[in-house]
Amino acid sequence: MIEVSGVSKSFAALQALNEVSLSVQKGSIYGLVGSNGAGKTTLLKILAGIYKPDAGKVMIDCRPVYENNSIKMRSVFIPDYLYCFPNHTVNDLAQFHARIYPRWSQERYEKLQPVFNIDGKHRIRTLSKGMQRQLAFWMGLSVQPEVMILDEPLDGLDPVMRQKVKSLVIQDVAEKDMSVIISSHNLRELEDICDYIGILHRGKLLVQQDLDDLKADIHKIQLAFSEDIPPELLTGMSVLHQERRGSVLILIVRGAYEEITGRLQAFQPAIMDILPLTLEEIFIYEMGDNGYEIKNLIS
Amino acid sequence: MFELDLRSRAPIYEQLVEKIKDLIVNNVLKADEQLPAVRVLASELTVNPNTVQKAYRELEYRGYIYSLPGKGSFVKAAVPENNTARLQSLEKDLERIIAEMIFLGRSAQQIDNLVQSCLVKSKGGTVND
Repeated sequence: MIEVSGVSKSFAALQALNEVSLSVQKGSIYGLVGSNGAGKTTLLKILAGIYKPDAGKVMIDCRPVYENNSIKMRSVFIPDYLYCFPNHTVNDLAQFHARIYPRWSQERYEKLQPVFNIDGKHRIRTLSKGMQRQLAFWMGLSVQPEVMILDEPLDGLDPVMRQKVKSLVIQDVAEKDMSVIISSHNLRELEDICDYIGILHRGKLLVQQDLDDLKADIHKIQLAFSEDIPPELLTGMSVLHQERRGSVLILIVRGAYEEITGRLQAFQPAIMDILPLTLEEIFIYEMGDNGYEIKNLIS
Repeated sequence: MFELDLRSRAPIYEQLVEKIKDLIVNNVLKADEQLPAVRVLASELTVNPNTVQKAYRELEYRGYIYSLPGKGSFVKAAVPENNTARLQSLEKDLERIIAEMIFLGRSAQQIDNLVQSCLVKSKGGTVND
């Protein structure tokens, strides 16, 4: 559905994106994570057709996005900073969307009103930050898009509303095969709703994988030996991180589960525990592998 | 229907497989009963529909459910066949538990009695059904 190939973008001397390629399938939710200033927002703005890439192609439904009305009328972008017209009320904004988006559904808009429970006569500027964000989702979902591009969309929403909004988006994904690309720093939350994850760092895509495969490919292992740790223990293994806490050795290892257990079992450890990693841990260790790590600040 | 432990490290689709399997094994979901549709379960639990789909595929592969095109997924009546791997891992769990019980001072006789009474209970369950 969304195809990005070899996209680069610079702002004066700053190279924001460096040959980024990714693809989002129809009916899939793609989670884009990355360090601050990695280029997530730039990439999403290119996808939304706001920026023109310096090089590379951005296609939605096999057609280029930039200056393409037929694509834009079927996609919705919710930016990290919302803009609202001065003195517009909620109903004015709905009318504005209805004029611009041919797929606008007044029925859907009215049906969603009790979910968000915002009075249509309110001026948007008087609404709180969180309510403005709810409004953005309300409008976005009423447009009935095929593609949703969300830049840190759940920021400022309360826990109940987060759940409601996620559930609404998932419904559209399941029933209408909508494609979603979502950037966030809340990795815990992305883990539940995304099926594909891309990690962006300094304008480059470090990892791009099915979330379950990504998790199946990296393990946290706790090992303890009744005698000394065999020196040749780690040869031939892709160890991202190791740490000793007393007699327990903690390893972060990349590779297939069976292979790792087989190798380590051969050294007959007294205790061996293998845990799957959370997305947050995967992010930290992958970044550490690329020179962006948590250093002990007070030393 | 059930809740997921969103703090658990286990992947969500694995949790789904385990929960549904528990419901089937303990006869909460009866044979030929329909499972909730993928999109319904996904938005109820706010997880990705593809993840639910994957869990259903896994359950079907392991022989707990069957699916009818256009109708949905149903609980299978027969005993699953692809269960050797699972049985092996359960046996390992049992070995670990028994080792710990012996370490904590349970005698072989006491463990044997416990096993016997468990067997009686499980058998009794199937006879009365």
